[in-house]
Amino acid sequence: MFVRSAMLGTTVIALGGGTYVLASTEEEKKARATVRPDNRPRLPPNQYLLTKIRPMGGTEGDPSPGSFRLRVHGEVEQPFSIDFAELLAMPQVEQTCDVHCVTKWTVLDSHWTGVRLADLARRAKPKSSARHVIFEANAGYTANVPVREALAPNVLIAHKYEGVPLARTHGAPVRALVPDLYFWKSAKWLTGIRFVAVDKPGYWETRGYHNHADPWKEERYG
Amino acid sequence: MADVSETVKPAARPSKPRPQRKFSWRPWLRAIHRDVGYVAVGLTFIYALSGIAVNHITDWSDGDPSFKTYSRSIDVRGDTSILGASAGDDGAIAEALRKRFGIRETPREVYRVSPDELDVLFDKRTLHLDAAKGVVVDEGQEPRFILRFANWLHLNRGKKAWTYAADAYAGALMLLAASGMFMIAGKKGFLGRGAVLVLVGILIPVLYIHFAGP
Repeated sequence: MFVRSAMLGTTVIALGGGTYVLASTEEEKKARATVRPDNRPRLPPNQYLLTKIRPMGGTEGDPSPGSFRLRVHGEVEQPFSIDFAELLAMPQVEQTCDVHCVTKWTVLDSHWTGVRLADLARRAKPKSSARHVIFEANAGYTANVPVREALAPNVLIAHKYEGVPLARTHGAPVRALVPDLYFWKSAKWLTGIRFVAVDKPGYWETRGYHNHADPWKEERYG
Repeated sequence: MADVSETVKPAARPSKPRPQRKFSWRPWLRAIHRDVGYVAVGLTFIYALSGIAVNHITDWSDGDPSFKTYSRSIDVRGDTSILGASAGDDGAIAEALRKRFGIRETPREVYRVSPDELDVLFDKRTLHLDAAKGVVVDEGQEPRFILRFANWLHLNRGKKAWTYAADAYAGALMLLAASGMFMIAGKKGFLGRGAVLVLVGILIPVLYIHFAGP
């Protein structure tokens, strides 16, 4: 009797995790049915919608625009560093895009202002040996992105979200924005952009998360 | 006359070898389990509370179990003390903002972002003034009670000596689990009911991985 009860309880608990199903809202159904220019559904699989991004923690960096410096270095011919005023003096891009967190939330039509990483790269002149970009951030946080994807026109070094300066918890004064990969790749409190010849998995990638992080392939865990 | 009792000694009993007490390891195991368990109480609650908080990270409105964040826009178009402050004097504008928002703290930085925009940074709070729109965005964060510290410890943000404390605690948990299996003998011990329950505990993650794992 005891053994039977114990086994029944075990099975119920173990299977309980698989029975958690979120009911889709109308907006989610619509987003799933909408196709992006690259033929992928607008809402990646197993994502649900939020109306604004969540900070999701992290070790907060110095939000001071006055002491901000961004190093662009590594496998480049002309490494440099710029301050916040210099970043604002570069061509500014306003971009509306969807972002997807590995914890399954997606925000559609988020609005960002910043500088294209490709523009910073143009100034640094990456060597032909550069294969990946490592975003360096406060407290040793890093995130790796293949150079081809990092230089896509929708990848920004952003300083505004929804028309106002980035909040501290969203990475003030400056964060990366890589909309087509899970959001942990969009490093907050950015301090450096390092081009490397050999890939180097970053903070979450070395803690069991996927090295690439494509939301449409559900590359959540490694 | 001498007291007989002083002179007559009781006959010596034949000496019997004292029975050797057999060493019993179970009381020792129980004592170790008990004392390690007492020490582990505080850390167990810290790690358990924090684990639940971090597990449900997406259920928190701002996705952060350690801090409450806020961001509000305040219309200051009619506030001449702010917008009327000398346009070139960022310090005067910052002072007017500080008064308007009732902040006692001295700003750690006043940064002119653009001719219309001024950031005033405090320790855990920033005021972003957009003079063209007549709006101040007031944003910052407040630590959550207890969870801020529990999560800090659980995620080992401090590193250094806490790594040793956390490793020792992990070792203590394994000791508790291992010693717990052998604390009692008989039908309710490891060779009876205990084995079934240990198997149940192992099967929970195994079945979960089998049915829902990577």
